[in-house]
Amino acid sequence: MEATPPPLKNAGSGEDSDGGFGWLGALLGEWRSLTRLGAFILITLATAARRHRDNSEVMRPQVLGEIHRCGVRLLPIISFLGVILGVVFVGQTVSLMEQFGAGNFTGTFIVTVFLREMVPMIAGLLVLARVGTASVVELGTARALGEVEALEALGIDPIHYLVVPRVIGFAVAVVSLSAYLILIALGSGYLFAYARGLKASPIEFFTQIAGAMSALDFPLWVLKTLLFGALTGWVICYQGLARPMTLEEVGPATTRTVAVCVVGCLMIDALFITVYLLL
Amino acid sequence: MRTPPSTTVALETRSLGIASSTSLDRISLQAVDWTVDTGELWVVAGAQGAGKTALLETLAGLIPAAAGEVRVFGRRVDASGEDDAGLRETRRRLGLVFDGSGRLFSALSVAENILLPWCYHQNRSHDEALGEFEPLIRHLQLESILSRKPTSLSRSWSRRVALARSLVLEPDLLLLDNPLAGLDAVHLRWWRGFLAEALAGHPLLGGEPLTIVATADAVRPYVGLDPRFALVASGHWRIITDIEAVLAATGEEGFRDLTEPRP
Repeated sequence: MEATPPPLKNAGSGEDSDGGFGWLGALLGEWRSLTRLGAFILITLATAARRHRDNSEVMRPQVLGEIHRCGVRLLPIISFLGVILGVVFVGQTVSLMEQFGAGNFTGTFIVTVFLREMVPMIAGLLVLARVGTASVVELGTARALGEVEALEALGIDPIHYLVVPRVIGFAVAVVSLSAYLILIALGSGYLFAYARGLKASPIEFFTQIAGAMSALDFPLWVLKTLLFGALTGWVICYQGLARPMTLEEVGPATTRTVAVCVVGCLMIDALFITVYLLL
Repeated sequence: MRTPPSTTVALETRSLGIASSTSLDRISLQAVDWTVDTGELWVVAGAQGAGKTALLETLAGLIPAAAGEVRVFGRRVDASGEDDAGLRETRRRLGLVFDGSGRLFSALSVAENILLPWCYHQNRSHDEALGEFEPLIRHLQLESILSRKPTSLSRSWSRRVALARSLVLEPDLLLLDNPLAGLDAVHLRWWRGFLAEALAGHPLLGGEPLTIVATADAVRPYVGLDPRFALVASGHWRIITDIEAVLAATGEEGFRDLTEPRP
């Protein structure tokens, strides 16, 4: 049996109030925001799990539309960024390490710094900047103009219709764009290094990088990029939808989203570094 | 085809307290005891800010009642004491058309706005829905604006699109928030005609007479439709048994004065 979602009208009201206790109150306010975001994430997960087969004629185009908007439409800029990163970071690193006689460590260095750390963060931030901010404005405006209540009045669950497709879209986009960015950057980086005198063939180059990866690297990398994207989607929807909003509050909600997403992704990063160190 | 109402009472409220739309801590209306029978047209008159919109939103289950209870076709629309599936089904028998431009979804076209609820609930494609509701769309004279975005429409047309969006779910009870406010003569005539045929039972609207509750800040346009009247003023609810007597005594402007909130 499906649970009818509670009206969103007053969810989260009173947020950001510090109760007059200075920094302690602010800290308490942040903690309350975090717990509300946590509750929002759990509600979204429960809705997605419970209703993943429902209303497919409407939801499938919604999900595909979000994947297109967050992922496919960013391919040109990701390609450009990949070439630049390949030349600036991968190519230069490979060339320099060859020059210093440390060519054997190239694979380890690129996997640790570039594949694990830089790429997911860059892809996540790009999706946040190009699509995420626009999404907060779109959702916040819809909230301020009462369109969310209109959805509820029509019996359409806003979490199911608005939030789930966005979270899926952002998660799939960040994973896919990260993988694409790696391929482009490694390819262009190899060409740059080759032009600067690298002796290794493409097969040797890519084999060295693949050899530097452990068996757990791939699932952990997918999980990390997936979490970056999903967290971005959750924060965007939470800031845009989960509390009453006026049109004047849409701007501050957008900047707050960027700050929360960056901090959240860095926290996930820190968590994964711990996991990598333990393994 | 709409499910025929299973009871003669469409809507019932007992000691209902209405919270304000903008602040749930503030009571805008109290002690609403009201029974709406199926097939009736009720006009709830009141000044701006008297709590008419909050009343409709409470009846639709969008904001919780501050006190008392609401029953639609015998079932409560708030969550307490009812199973979720029954609650959703009850809410779907109730259509709400918001005031002003009707709160259309600005990211969607007019056609998508109208058909989304039906596609979502029936799990059908947009093209199927377009075929299904072409007669209704034509009847509401919306066929020439289907591809337009709501922001390009006048308020009168937006409101009619919002009505269409509500009608595709074939509600038994229609809640209209100030539907005749600010309309020109052509749109006003169309809406009056629509209300008359909806109350009589139109084949495109399921064939059965609809039960309609409309809010208003002027009652004169409704008089010929033989409605029942209620008044919200100063946070109180009053059923007007003889509107003609009130209008004869005070005139339209006098009735407006009556609905002004007292300081």
